[in-house]
Amino acid sequence: MSNVDSTTGKVSNAQKLRSFPGNRIVWHAVIVGAVWLLLLLLNNNIDPLYSSYLALVAMYATAMFGMTILVGLSGQVSLGNGALMAVGGYVFALTSMNWQTVPIFGWQWNAVWSMVFAGLGGILIGGIVGGLAARLKGPYLAGLTLGLAVGVPAITNRFPELLGGENGLMLTVPYPAGGYSAAAGAAELGDETTDSGADPGLDPSISVDEDQYAELDLSEFDQEFDEFDQDIDPNTNAEAEDLLTEGDLLTLDDFSDGGDLGLESPEPSEEPIVDAGVDSGVDSGTVATDSAGSLDDGFIIEQWQASMAIAVACLVAFAALNLIRGRQGRVWKAVRDDPIAAAVVGISPSGSKVSAFVVSSLFAALAGAVFAQILSFVGPGAFGLGLSLSLLVGIVLGGRSSLLGAILGALIIVWLPELVNGLAGERGWPDQITNNAPNLLYGLLVVAVVLAAPGGMTGTLRSWIDKSRGKSRSPLS
Amino acid sequence: MTNFIDFLLGGFSNGAVIALMALALVMVWRSTRMVNFAQVGQAMFTTYIALTVQQSTGNWLLALAVAMGAGLVLGTIVYFLVIRPVKNSDTTGAIIATFGVLIALQAGAGMIWGGDPEGFVPPVSNAGLEFAGRIWPISLYDILVLAVTAALVIGLTLLFTKTSLGLSMRASAFNPEVARLSGVRVNRMLITGWALAGATGAVGGVLIAPVSTISPNSFDILLVFAFTAAVIGGLDSLIGAVTFGIGTGLVISLVTGYTDASNAPVVALVLLALNLLLKPDGVFSHHGSRSV
Repeated sequence: MSNVDSTTGKVSNAQKLRSFPGNRIVWHAVIVGAVWLLLLLLNNNIDPLYSSYLALVAMYATAMFGMTILVGLSGQVSLGNGALMAVGGYVFALTSMNWQTVPIFGWQWNAVWSMVFAGLGGILIGGIVGGLAARLKGPYLAGLTLGLAVGVPAITNRFPELLGGENGLMLTVPYPAGGYSAAAGAAELGDETTDSGADPGLDPSISVDEDQYAELDLSEFDQEFDEFDQDIDPNTNAEAEDLLTEGDLLTLDDFSDGGDLGLESPEPSEEPIVDAGVDSGVDSGTVATDSAGSLDDGFIIEQWQASMAIAVACLVAFAALNLIRGRQGRVWKAVRDDPIAAAVVGISPSGSKVSAFVVSSLFAALAGAVFAQILSFVGPGAFGLGLSLSLLVGIVLGGRSSLLGAILGALIIVWLPELVNGLAGERGWPDQITNNAPNLLYGLLVVAVVLAAPGGMTGTLRSWIDKSRGKSRSPLS
Repeated sequence: MTNFIDFLLGGFSNGAVIALMALALVMVWRSTRMVNFAQVGQAMFTTYIALTVQQSTGNWLLALAVAMGAGLVLGTIVYFLVIRPVKNSDTTGAIIATFGVLIALQAGAGMIWGGDPEGFVPPVSNAGLEFAGRIWPISLYDILVLAVTAALVIGLTLLFTKTSLGLSMRASAFNPEVARLSGVRVNRMLITGWALAGATGAVGGVLIAPVSTISPNSFDILLVFAFTAAVIGGLDSLIGAVTFGIGTGLVISLVTGYTDASNAPVVALVLLALNLLLKPDGVFSHHGSRSV
């Protein structure tokens, strides 16, 4: 039904292809996979300093994908996502510290299990808060989640033995058994490079491989870009009809499938790394300890952190992409734009709000777990109101209702302080100015964006493109 | 039992300040139907100005007056620059914009006055009064705080109930369209609401500064308490804001006394959540009559 063009009554093949959910999931997987590969190649070829920025950007982006869904699509202004990151971070820290030796379902305890539990913690807390939030409108919700942002870090003081109080918890990040080598990224692509990956002597061959793959990626990416362009101008009639049908489109239930699908993909990548470690058994120990070495040599903690953060961000992006561009995304938008009209066509407004909250909580908790691994530490200071505010700032500046906006926002949040620090170093500003300049900029920019360009960077860009094509559309759609 | 009474008594002056902040939130809500999350940021900024005045002149009353004036001006500026352009088009954006103002004000204060907590010298003794053979948890300064708060609340009540300005403000809060038809300059009333809220918050900031310390972020927690009080009071009730502001202060004092200060925000959060679940419109709200 939904494939029928309401004006001509015909079903176009392109439309059929695009609206078939399995097909869309494949396309999304290819898009995300291509970006993932590009990022891994980037990560393996840059200075470890930049890798640590990359890790932070990926971490912020993970949390902001949740903000895209919550603030952008569902229209709920929440300051609680920093607190939900704290939930994820603390669950990760506690599980990885205390249960490190316990196998579950025969699978040795490691970071992945801790991440799973962090995600579950996020879903649990997000469900509770979301249930409350669904009853609340605008300022009430913002105020309640503001309380969450202030209150949750304070809880850590209540349980100083368990949660470490004000000082937080130091955690030993469970690194992969074979260590992370620079070629591990290339190893994702297949087995042939794994042997050379552990061996620093074969650098040239690795770089040749990488070049090949880079070419391949770019061509794939171009295709994706075209597809993406096509998808940017949606047939509004078809969308409205999709809203009414409960048919073949993606629902929240499918999300778990998507998650499984996503979670499977890193396995082949992890095993070769472990294998490499086992194969060159003697090396693995020395490689891990000689971390001060060059890029191609041995375990570089920043690169490992970045590859882990990128992996999580890509999986979350994949899930978010499917949700946003599927049925659930339209449900969220419908409730945001007109809850009464949405209720009339059979959508539960409160159910939609809770689902947005739970999904964003899951993403936030995963980001929190990544943050814990990046910092090797969790503490109330790291997850305070400032973190929640920076998530809000990032999503508003980047673009409230697109995933690309979330990525741009994450870049701004990480890059702007560095820019200011660099400037301050050149000009010799006092610390008092330097430390506060990024926040002053954030605050002023947020106000300016809300006033002048409510769609943020992506929204504004999109409306320019639309204008040049002679179309008009709300910058927040 | 003496503990209980001591904790209760100790909560009054904090409660008074929370009441003032809640009052500011309510006045903004009544004029523009939105919550100004930058309210404590404005109060923090004007308190820093008051601190500067007091450090250079040593005159507390002058500092208070300057803070009130700065609060009026700041409230008006925020309204004109941020709220008026965004208000009608985008409610989500308006909420976000107030947070933007909060971030900018905090960073600005940090730039001007530095991030380290600074003390604010109280005009009268901050030590517990000795009376009937024991030291009570109420100081001369607490009494001053209560007196100033009471004076301000009485003044605002008189303004709203006995003057034509107050009548116009209430009319534009109740129904802007009808008020406009009756010749009320609604826009001016909205500005007045924001300016008065700024001044009220500024007084609250100056009053709390000697008890806590002042730093760019030190009032964040006050925002949570004030929001809790304002929402429980119904967000558009001045009496509700004052009652539950003081009530919140007492509860927090009890929680802090019997357990630990770090529990206070959690308790506020629980109170807020319970209220939003059980009585989302607040205790003193006029919503029932408005929706008819």
